[in-house]
Amino acid sequence: MATQLESNEDRLSPSNSTAPRAPGETRRGRAAWLAVLREHSVYFALAALVVFNLVVTPGFSNPFAARSLLFEAAPIVLIALGQNLAIATRGIDLSVGSVMALASASIAVFLPYGVGTALVGAVAVGALAGLCNGALVALLAIDPLISGLALLVAARGLAQALLGGSRVNLPDAPAFDVLGALAFGPVPVVMLIALALAVVVAFVVRRTTFGRYTILVGASRSAAFLAGIPVRRTLFLVYAASGTLAGLAGLFASARLGAADPNYVGVNFELDAIAASVIGGTPLSGGRISIVGAVFGVLLLQVLDASFIMNNISFTYAQILKAVFIVVALYLQRSGG
Amino acid sequence: MTTGEVAAKTAGDAAGASRAVLETRGVSKTFGVVRALRDVSLTLRAGEVHGLVGENGAGKSTLIKVLTGFHQPDSGDLTLDDANVSFDSPRAAQRAGVCAVYQEINLIPERSVADNIFLCHEPKRFGFLIDRKRMLEKAAEIVQRYRLAVDPAAKLGTLGLGAQQMVAIARGVSLGARVLILDEPTSALSGAEVDVLFDVVDALRAEGIALLFVSHRLSECYRLCDRLTVMRDGAVVRTATPEELPRGALIAAMLGREGAGEHAWSDRSGAADARDEALADTPPALEVDGLQWGNRVRDVSLRVAPREIVGLAGLLGSGRTETFKTIFGAQRADAGEVKLAGHALARTTPARSIGRGLAFLSEDRRAEGIFSRLSVRENIVASLLPRISRFGFISRAKEAQLVRESIARLGIKTAGPGAPVSTLSGGNQQKALIARCLSTRPSVLLLDDPTRGIDVGAKEEVHRVVQELAHEGLAVVVTSSEMEELLALTERLVMLNEGATQGGMLTAGAHPDDVLAVLAGHAPEDGRIIDESGTDGNPT
Repeated sequence: MATQLESNEDRLSPSNSTAPRAPGETRRGRAAWLAVLREHSVYFALAALVVFNLVVTPGFSNPFAARSLLFEAAPIVLIALGQNLAIATRGIDLSVGSVMALASASIAVFLPYGVGTALVGAVAVGALAGLCNGALVALLAIDPLISGLALLVAARGLAQALLGGSRVNLPDAPAFDVLGALAFGPVPVVMLIALALAVVVAFVVRRTTFGRYTILVGASRSAAFLAGIPVRRTLFLVYAASGTLAGLAGLFASARLGAADPNYVGVNFELDAIAASVIGGTPLSGGRISIVGAVFGVLLLQVLDASFIMNNISFTYAQILKAVFIVVALYLQRSGG
Repeated sequence: MTTGEVAAKTAGDAAGASRAVLETRGVSKTFGVVRALRDVSLTLRAGEVHGLVGENGAGKSTLIKVLTGFHQPDSGDLTLDDANVSFDSPRAAQRAGVCAVYQEINLIPERSVADNIFLCHEPKRFGFLIDRKRMLEKAAEIVQRYRLAVDPAAKLGTLGLGAQQMVAIARGVSLGARVLILDEPTSALSGAEVDVLFDVVDALRAEGIALLFVSHRLSECYRLCDRLTVMRDGAVVRTATPEELPRGALIAAMLGREGAGEHAWSDRSGAADARDEALADTPPALEVDGLQWGNRVRDVSLRVAPREIVGLAGLLGSGRTETFKTIFGAQRADAGEVKLAGHALARTTPARSIGRGLAFLSEDRRAEGIFSRLSVRENIVASLLPRISRFGFISRAKEAQLVRESIARLGIKTAGPGAPVSTLSGGNQQKALIARCLSTRPSVLLLDDPTRGIDVGAKEEVHRVVQELAHEGLAVVVTSSEMEELLALTERLVMLNEGATQGGMLTAGAHPDDVLAVLAGHAPEDGRIIDESGTDGNPT
C-alpha cells in the first residue's frame, strides 16, 4: 500500500533534481542514485535506525516495545497530517499541541453527558479551534505563524481553566479501553485509525480539487489567485481539518493516559509534527506534500526517542541529540534542492 | 502647459540657475556583464529642477544610487561645487548635502513627524540628550516655511502618503540638502497631493536647491522641470529644455526611435473594411465604461468585438497592468462598469471572471503565472479543476486528455506532461500559461505583454496562436512593451495615457512613430484617429 501511494505522490510532486545533470554517463548514474537516496532518505534512515536498535538496544525486538512506541506515535501521525496540509499551503499550524490539550479537557467536561458525547465533543472542540484558526488566517489574513501562536497560548489556557488546572481520571468505559489499550499484536487500534486517515488524506491530496488547490496555493499564492482558485476557502478548510485531526489526537492521547490532563497532553507535539513533515519531504516553502513521508517521519522520530530512552540516555541529552539529528536531516534534504 | 509658460519659467530662472552644484562626468558602472551606466554626464544646477526620464532599465536608478553613494562608479568623476568628490556611503553623500527621497518612504510610521524629520541628527543637549523642545520648534519652522499642512507632533503613520512624502522632503531640507533627488515622488499621490508637492518643489527651487525629478509621468515633467535628461540603455540620449524637446521627440528618444520613419510598416493582409463591418454588426464581447481604480486607473473605456484583437497602447506606468487586473477582478474597481457580452459583472473576483468567460495572462510570469515547482500538467489545468471533476474528485482521464490536447495545439515542447514546468524554456512556459487561459473556453482574453522575456521564435508562435484564437471567435485585448509588436499583432489600438483611455487608432499601415505621436498628444495629419466610445481625452 505504502509503496504504491508513494510512487503516485512522486508523480504529483516532481523533484527538481532532474534539472541540472552532470555530463558523462557514470557521473549521471551516481547523481541519479544520490537523488534517489535523498528523495527517500526518511525510509533509509528509519531502516538504518531500526537495524541499529535491533543489534544494539536490549529489549528493542520485544513486541511490547513496538506496541508502546506505536501508541505514542498515533496522535502525532494525526497532527502531522494536518500540519502537512498547512505546510503545503506555505503556512504552519503551531496550535495543534494545545488543541490536543483542549480536546482532552473537553472529554472531562462532556463526560457527565455520557462517554459517547465526550468522544464526539472532544473532536468537535478540536474542529471549532481549527475553524477559529482558519478564520483568522483566511478571512482576516493574519499570518498563520501569529494566529497559531495565539491559539497555542489560548487553547492551553482555556484547557487549564476548564479543569481548574488539574488532571481528571477517565472512568472505566469500553470506548476508552479500545482507544487506550486494544492492539492486534504490536499494532494498536488507534494506529490503524491514524493510518486509515493518512490514506484518506493522501487520496484527498492526490485526487480531489481541494487537495490540488492546497498545493497550488502553496506553490504560488498570487498565481493561484489569478488562476481563479478559491485561496481563502482552501486556507480555511486546511486549518479546520488540522484542528479536527488535533482534536482526535487529543482524544487518543487522553485514552492512552487514562486521564484528561491539560498540563501534559500535547506539550511540544507541534514541533514533532513539523519536524516529521519536513523530514518526510514536505518543504516549508510549500507547494509540495508527502503524506507517506510524514507518517514515516513520525515513526523515525519515535524510534529515535525510544532508542535514547532504552539506552538510558538522559532526557536532557536525548533532546540535544534529537535536535542535532533533525538539523542534519534537514540540511541533507536542503542540499538536494 | 503651454510653451509660453515654459519659456517664461526658464527665463525667470535663467539669472540664478547657471551655477552647477553636482555634476557627473563620463560615469560608467558595470554589474557583471551588464553595463548599467555608460559614460553618463549630468549637471544639476542650483535653483533648477532637472527631470530624468527613461523606460525601465534605462539606468535611472543606478544613476541615483551613484549620486547618493550606494554605488561607486567604475570610471568617471563626480564633482560637487567643482571639486572632485567620492561618496563611499549614503551617509557620506548626505553629509555633503546630497539627499534622495524615494517612492517607498523609508521613515518610521510609529514616530512623530518631528522625530522623523530629525531622525539620526536630532538637536542635542550636552551632546547626548535629545532636546525635544528645540526639535519640535525647528520642525514647526520647517513645516511653516513650506506651508505643509501637518502637525509636527502627529504620528507619521496617521498621515496620508502625500504628507509623508513631504515629511521625507522636509527631512532632506533639515539635513541641509543642497541637492535633492525625488525618485518617482508622485506615483502614489492623488492629484491634490501632487499640487502640494509641486508647490513645495517650487519653494525649494526658489531657495536655490538643485533638484533631480524622476518620473514616468511626462506631463508632470513638463509642468515642473527646467531641463530634461532622457536616458536609454544606460546612456544619456539627450539633455534639453522642455521647449527644445517636445513630447513626441522626448518619447522617441526614450524608446530609441529617433530618425525612424523611412521604412513603411509592412502592410498586413487583413482587410480593414471587413473588420469595420464586423465592428458594426456584432455586439461587443467586452465593454468597459469609466473604469477607475485608485489613481492608476482613472478613466478607462473600451469595446472589443468577437474576433477582434485590440491593443492597449501606453507607455510604462500608464496603467496597462492595473487596467487589466481591474477588469479581471483581481482588484476591486472604485467606479465604472465591465460588461461581458452585454451582461454587467458585479463583485468581481478572478474566479468569478473566469467562470463568466474572461481569461487573463499576467505580465509577470514568474511571480503571478507559473507554479514553478509543479508539473506542466498541473500548471495547465489549474484554472479548470472544477470542470474536470465530479463531487470534488478530479477525473484523471479528462485531465490527461485536456493536457494532451493543449500540448499538441500550442506546440509546447516538454519532456512530458509530468515534467516540472521549470524545465521548460520561457516561451514554452508562456504557452503553457496561454493553454491554462484557453482551458476554460473564454470569450475574452486579456494578454498583458505575452511575449515579454521570450525569444524571437517563441514570439512568432505566440502571435500565431493569438491570431488563430481571434479567428476562432475570441475577443483579445493585448499589451506589449514593443510598439512594433503591438502594431503587427493587433487591428486597432486604444491609447492609454496616465490611466485614461484617449481614443483609438487602426493599425493597418500605421507606423510606430504615429502611435508615439498620439501618445505624445499630437494627432497625425491623415486623420487615422477614430473616436473611442465617446471618452473624453485628457490632454495633459
